Amino acid sequence: MGREVGIVGVGQTHHARRRTDVSQAGLVREAVDRALADAKLSMEDIDTVVIATGPVLFAAVNQPEKWVVDAIGAQGKSVVRLTSGGGAGFAGALAGYYQVAGGYSDRTLVVAYDKLSEGQLQYSISTLYDPFWGREFAVGIMGFSAAYWRARMDVLGHTEEAAAMVAAKNRNNAIKNPYAHQKKPVTVEDVLNSKPLCWPIKMLDVPPISDGAAAIVLASDKVAHHSNTRPAWIRGMAYCCEADNAPERSLMLSEPLAIASKHVYRAAGITNPRRQFDVVEVQEPYSCFELNYYESLGLCPPGQAAELIASGATQVDGDIPVNPSGGCMGANPIGAVGVIRLIEAATQVMGRNETHQIQGAKTALVQSGGGWANLRGCAVLSA
Amino acid sequence: MGLSQVAVLASAQTELRPAWRDAQHIDLISSVVTNVFKGTGLTIDDVDFVIDSGSDVLDGRSISNCGFLGALGAHHKEEARVEEDGLWGALYGVNKIRAGASIGLIVAYSKPSESSVDLYWSSMVEPFYQRPVGFGQKAALGIQAQRYLAAHGIKDEALAEVVARRWAAAAAGGKVAMGDAPDARTVLASEEAAAPLTDLMIARPVDGAVAVLIGNADVARRAGRPPVLITGMGTSMETHSFAERTANRLDSVSNATKMALGKAGWASAAAADVVETSGSSVVGELLALEGLGLAPAGKGLDAAQDAKVNRSGGALPADPIMATGLVRLAEAAKQLSTPVAGGAKAPAKAIVHGTGGVAMQTNCVFTLEV
Amino acid sequence: MFYAPETAPIDLPTFKSTIAMPYTLTPGRSAGTFLAEMPNRRIVGSRFAGGKVIAPAQDFSPVNGDEPEELVQVPENGELTAFTRVDGVVIGLVRLDGCENAFAHRILADLADCKVGQRVAAQWASEDAGTSITAIEGFVLSPDAPVGEVKPLVGPAEPLGVINYSMALDYDHAYGPYYGRMFDELKENGVVMGVRGSNADDALLPPREIDDITHKRTGTWKACADTGTIRACSLINMEVYGQTRPVPYAYAEIVLDGASTKMIHIIEIDDLESAKQTIKPGTRVRAIWTKGERKGAVSDIERFEVIEA
Repeated sequence: MGREVGIVGVGQTHHARRRTDVSQAGLVREAVDRALADAKLSMEDIDTVVIATGPVLFAAVNQPEKWVVDAIGAQGKSVVRLTSGGGAGFAGALAGYYQVAGGYSDRTLVVAYDKLSEGQLQYSISTLYDPFWGREFAVGIMGFSAAYWRARMDVLGHTEEAAAMVAAKNRNNAIKNPYAHQKKPVTVEDVLNSKPLCWPIKMLDVPPISDGAAAIVLASDKVAHHSNTRPAWIRGMAYCCEADNAPERSLMLSEPLAIASKHVYRAAGITNPRRQFDVVEVQEPYSCFELNYYESLGLCPPGQAAELIASGATQVDGDIPVNPSGGCMGANPIGAVGVIRLIEAATQVMGRNETHQIQGAKTALVQSGGGWANLRGCAVLSA
Repeated sequence: MGLSQVAVLASAQTELRPAWRDAQHIDLISSVVTNVFKGTGLTIDDVDFVIDSGSDVLDGRSISNCGFLGALGAHHKEEARVEEDGLWGALYGVNKIRAGASIGLIVAYSKPSESSVDLYWSSMVEPFYQRPVGFGQKAALGIQAQRYLAAHGIKDEALAEVVARRWAAAAAGGKVAMGDAPDARTVLASEEAAAPLTDLMIARPVDGAVAVLIGNADVARRAGRPPVLITGMGTSMETHSFAERTANRLDSVSNATKMALGKAGWASAAAADVVETSGSSVVGELLALEGLGLAPAGKGLDAAQDAKVNRSGGALPADPIMATGLVRLAEAAKQLSTPVAGGAKAPAKAIVHGTGGVAMQTNCVFTLEV
Repeated sequence: MFYAPETAPIDLPTFKSTIAMPYTLTPGRSAGTFLAEMPNRRIVGSRFAGGKVIAPAQDFSPVNGDEPEELVQVPENGELTAFTRVDGVVIGLVRLDGCENAFAHRILADLADCKVGQRVAAQWASEDAGTSITAIEGFVLSPDAPVGEVKPLVGPAEPLGVINYSMALDYDHAYGPYYGRMFDELKENGVVMGVRGSNADDALLPPREIDDITHKRTGTWKACADTGTIRACSLINMEVYGQTRPVPYAYAEIVLDGASTKMIHIIEIDDLESAKQTIKPGTRVRAIWTKGERKGAVSDIERFEVIEA
């Protein structure tokens, strides 16, 4: 079986709506410098590098790792790029995880980023659609996401308010997060009264558009202690998919997420997720997705996400806090988000989150994903 | 550590054609994914994970893997997109199996006929200094060749001989669509691509797909044939700045080779009975052979004459961008597992090379053994 | 392989598609200063610890990622270190005097006249090229060009925060046997045809050889109705780049009668509030065909509308 893999260093940029002082490559450098410093390492100590970004159309550079490699001083090393839409960062971390677990490297740097201010976000995302069949009607994936939320609302009797509670929770949590850039206090009513963009999705259900990068250093159990006395060990990690245009695809539950969590929970010995996790970090490109994740990850029974958010259990002071960092609502540099969520969870179980530490957190759950909600993964971290 | 051994179980590829006008990406992909199981006793249900290589820019859609998941056979499985040649997809797959997975499917494909290959390359160089002045793949390959010929006193006729040899091999292999294989004179007479290189001295973009099934040692044993084991692999990326790379050398090929040989425990790549490389140009192929350690600097031409090198024809007659290196892996594995005539020595070791980026900025090397 | 049952080969052209959009790219401090200095006809380089200078200026050493100590002004003269010709244009690597690196640019000379080590000098574009490296039109062969020196960059221009950029990618997508027949039927007969799933009577839209879910061969062709049921829908009320319809309208994923998978289209609406009530999952809809000759594309259906109960 594979070797144990821990996160031994983390770093992210102070995310912003638009960074005009650094190039894409410079943005990546900032996160890498911070992660290496955190791991008490320099680039010479790193065996392999994984770079992850969203679609290349976001910023007009094809295979950007071939440019970015210069900015991070990784010339000569094993460098490869993973991409998976919104889940790119997570997919990159998973590739890095296997490089260490499979004995290919002892220390792997994973850096993920997107500089969304450079291009036309929704138009770029619309090119996900088949050019023959539907692209002309796409509004990024916002139209799609809203459509399936509406279907869930109708079937489950959930209201717009349930998603508004998610948006308000995460937006208010983000105020404390030093790396977030969207930091205005928001009430549930504010969300409900905000402008419908793709109804039922409204302005405040949607995260900001961000420039940002995030990096982690993964290490084998052999060398992890050089960097960190209390690494965040990856106890299980998986990223699964489903064909997007299937008969019967209802999106009531995320099947790929349910499949991934089954694998990951088995590997990590999780039998009662609600009790066993101290903190959860999820990637919610729109507020409504977080509700779906609660159910797909087994934090509540199917159909009961609205009750879970209403109960307050997922608030910072609840029994299962979800996104104490503010999640995507504080900053959403899409390709980087999977790594940002891993960083947030890692610092929680390491017991050194700067501003929103959940006291005594030992075990954390991370979720990430992309595409037409058909690429979904999760990971379990513990100290 | 008790990490698993990894074997190549089977492979399938479409014909490599200048343009598959009567097939879509998904047609090419689902064809190889269906065919790769033939004779293995395995089905798509036995596969733990799928790793695919393709390019959004060539495909004309973002996250293109996302729309091809069904054709890839990936539904409800773990899937990953490595936006680099499929040999890097195989590298990921090997790591997964070494860490405990049983069976993985590696797929790479491309249809450069549907897009502008020049834009694919020019969008790869940084947009402030290089792109506006027209620096891209062709210019970089031309400069690489001009330097190499000048440094070693080699004539372009010698390059043309190598190109003709590769086309003849591809014609004999029957997997590459072509008219008459060009002879050296035709190679020299083809249009200038980037002086001193003619069009035929640069790898020809073609459409196609390839699938490779890999598995752990238990699965390989059950397959009943002597398994082709992946015993070493390495990759290295050089600086983006072409002018800063060592002239007349591909340092990243040397780095990747050193990694792969170290893992495999080989003293030298010369131990290989089969060599499959992915030169972006004929000079790129010679530099790759030198980087692999099969010839001293400037003597790549000698290595290129060796019968064990690029029996498949290599990348010059057929370069399905993003799939070329994985095709080399499939070809090398086949050569190792094909029975030889009585009395002949069966090949036992192979070295496989894949490349990516402008003027071969990144390179990947695998060792295979039976 | 690629077998479309019950159909003769259809000789279709390719499907033209373009992805084009504007960008605002951030060059970073060094390249931003270099580009800002182009109209001033000054070439900016970066000096690293130890005195090494490279040009054009970079925020990070292309050799090892080190950050430079300062920006400097480098000479306009240098030497040619390598060259080629692509599409009739000579592209060379030029090392400017006092610099350790070379960079790619156009060489304004005949290839036959180019020699490694030859002296070259920048030729500035006669027309205003703005803040682009093409303000240097290229380098001319200049045997007598004096050897210049690296100087401090006095009064550097503010680095550009962004440059405007556009990218346009054109595609000729193949129809293949399945899309080919589907769009041919749409054009010739005004019928939406799918193929049955590998183990079902309902048709998959769009059709394909291999069933996405079972990875088995799909079945025979089947005509779907131009009526159907909304599986999921949302009300689009935001304007985004590249949008083809005025807002508001409904984005709808519709399962046509006889099909099992979705077709994406739009439904016109008067206002959000009434549409919330009238357009929902389960609502029955019919296609409104575009007037005039059919083209064999999804746009042959102009929109869908609700079938009043």
